[in-house]
Amino acid sequence: MLKSIFIGAAVASAAATGALAADFPQRPVQVVVPYSAGGSTDLSMRVVADTFERLFDGQMVVRNQPGGGGAIGSAAAVNARPDGYTLGAGAQGPLVIKPLIGGTNYQLDDVEFIGLYARSLQVMVACADAPFSDYDAFVEYAKDKAPQVGNSGAGGANQISAEAFADAAGISIESVPFNGSSEARTACIGGHIDAMVASPAEALAASEAGQMTPLFVMEDERMDLFPDTPTAVEKGVDFTWSSWKGVIGPKGMDEETLAWLREAVEKVANDEEFRKTLTDMGEFVVYEDSEAFEARARKDMETSKKVLEKLDMLGMNN
Amino acid sequence: MDSIAFLTPLFEPRILMTIAAGTFGGLIIGALPGLTATMGVALLIPLTFGMAPIMGLNMLIGIYIGGIYGGCVASILLRTPGTPASAATVLDGYPMAQRGEAGRALGMATIASTVGGLIAAVVLATLAPELAGIALEFGASEYFALALFGLTIIASLSGDLLKGAISGLLGILISTVGADPISGVMRYTFGVQGFASGFAFTPALIGLFALSEVFTQMERIAAKEEPIKIVSGRWPSRTEMKESRGALIRGSIIGTLIGIVPGTGSGTASWISYNECRRASKTPEKFGTGYAPGIAATESANNAVCAAALIPLLALGIPGDVVTAVLMGGLLIQGLAPGPMLFQTNPDVVVGIFGGTFIATIFMFIFGMALIPVFSRILMIPRRLLAMSIVIFCFIGSFAINLNPVDLYTMVGFGVLGWGMQKFGFSQAALCIALILGPLLESNLRRGLLQTHDDVVAFISTPITLLFLGLTVLSACWPMIANALAKRRAARTQLHQEAQ
Repeated sequence: MLKSIFIGAAVASAAATGALAADFPQRPVQVVVPYSAGGSTDLSMRVVADTFERLFDGQMVVRNQPGGGGAIGSAAAVNARPDGYTLGAGAQGPLVIKPLIGGTNYQLDDVEFIGLYARSLQVMVACADAPFSDYDAFVEYAKDKAPQVGNSGAGGANQISAEAFADAAGISIESVPFNGSSEARTACIGGHIDAMVASPAEALAASEAGQMTPLFVMEDERMDLFPDTPTAVEKGVDFTWSSWKGVIGPKGMDEETLAWLREAVEKVANDEEFRKTLTDMGEFVVYEDSEAFEARARKDMETSKKVLEKLDMLGMNN
Repeated sequence: MDSIAFLTPLFEPRILMTIAAGTFGGLIIGALPGLTATMGVALLIPLTFGMAPIMGLNMLIGIYIGGIYGGCVASILLRTPGTPASAATVLDGYPMAQRGEAGRALGMATIASTVGGLIAAVVLATLAPELAGIALEFGASEYFALALFGLTIIASLSGDLLKGAISGLLGILISTVGADPISGVMRYTFGVQGFASGFAFTPALIGLFALSEVFTQMERIAAKEEPIKIVSGRWPSRTEMKESRGALIRGSIIGTLIGIVPGTGSGTASWISYNECRRASKTPEKFGTGYAPGIAATESANNAVCAAALIPLLALGIPGDVVTAVLMGGLLIQGLAPGPMLFQTNPDVVVGIFGGTFIATIFMFIFGMALIPVFSRILMIPRRLLAMSIVIFCFIGSFAINLNPVDLYTMVGFGVLGWGMQKFGFSQAALCIALILGPLLESNLRRGLLQTHDDVVAFISTPITLLFLGLTVLSACWPMIANALAKRRAARTQLHQEAQ
């Protein structure tokens, strides 16, 4: 009800001025990052904000609102006034996985997808002292003994991807949750777990130094950073996974504002300087429009649903 | 030597200015309750995008060092820990300020922070690769044993053992609110989304120490008690320095060792250091009454953590605490991957960071000492007005961290709790320690049992675990041991006297 009043007001003012899009934005656009400052979602969004201010005559402010594994900040973005001035950093965990586990006051259907600007690719790595050091040995080992695979937290994207792969490959693993991927990585380099899912940035230097060994990448094609590491797909397992970085907003924004924002994200994502900075940070910079972005989110949701059902975590916190 | 040559760029005025600005900014951020070093570093990272690595990284390190130091200001003057790292400084800093020795308390804190920072920086620059291995030894059972050892502080901190134990257990209970660390199930949140990740730590701390103090002071103001006297000065007396010498060294070493272990941080380090220095002291009963060595113990330890946490980061690519995790982001943005290779591929950066740690610590000393009279003046604000401003700060500080209204309820709730505890002689410090160590204890106990398939023996039988478990038993029984020793000594002197 309240929403439709806002929409009505927005449409009316659009009609009155004739060209709202040209007038947007008239004040700073705020983007809610659902994690505390300093993580990769936050840092990449700050680069987006920098680029946005450079390309357009407008201000973009990043606001951190952590808590509840990203659910609090995401709720703030999804339930914001749909005027285009409050957007959110679209992150996989809080948007796709949390609503399935339960306890969030939003669903994926409440999310307006604006554009995806980067993906965090994922690599399964063997940790120090692990009894396997390549894909075949890993799968062979996992056939009769469940390797301990560390993840960034119970019910997080990391755990989902490891379990989903195990499901697809017909092996079993034992998930060991940590408080964040940095703690899992410490345990991995220290040899306290057998394997973990890492981002290329987390895995590259460590594998060059012999602290971990990449087993396979979770993409359709091999990665430039790990040319010798196979994909699960080429090993005959139909499994890909990556977490993503995009811009989302509340449903109910008027068409012109939405179109302006979508175009803006596309321009930012294709900006040379932006691509360079983000690539240096270890991100895989790629633009996907709102439709492709939403389709990706829905596909991830299907995958997550299966895994959570198996782990008995579906609707656990409802 | 080549490595000396890598230090020359640090002395370019532009770079020196940047480090100074970072340290000064960090100091102010740390001094304001609720604004933490982590936040300062994270928010200013984008500024470093365009800087040369040495300049950008050292600015961030300056903010870190200044921020951890700055926390002592609010702890001493207002009983409000500026950062969680300085919560233990409240114990002796605030009573000193109440006695009118705020300047000397701040001076002691500045000297201790400098000593701790410099000792850890020397260790960083000389032994980083050798010591980094310690970080790798810690698995679930080792963290569990360390946390358990830490919790025994409660026994010796509280005069009344039963009340101390109750406070500690209450703290552990409170720390279980939120998502279960192993299964992700929500516990004790009563459906409040804002509690999903537990009570936010800094608002809880602000409430527990600062708001509760305002309540207590309101009562005193109502009862027309004498206001705090101001004594100028910033240098601790010769006796104080002499008494604090042991605490300074011990605190620096404890801070350095705990800083190397990832995931523990300066809050844990300062509490453990406080306890160990108290235990080693000839006059342990003076701790907690406004005793300079108490400040020396906590402040030397928490600043030693800063440089020490850089050891696993640079040598292994493992961040030692939250701030160094953010710093790792800063390194990656510069295209530098921290880890064993960094020492070979970018020795200039490594040496530059070593040098920057020293320079930032020196700047911290200069600014800290210079600002003491300015800070002390806060106490000249009339008590009613000061109480009002502290309340405002409590609210701003608690809200600024997560912009989460629930954090305000947390702060007020803990304020009332802390006030009640103070009134009935329960130790707020014990609760605070349990809040810091509870999650470390629980998640590692559960993770360790998960990994060993509930084999308790396998879980607690590694060498480091056994060492800490042994220390735990020793520490828990210490009051009894100390008592027995004192009796024996007394008996012997008596015998001696009788013989004469």
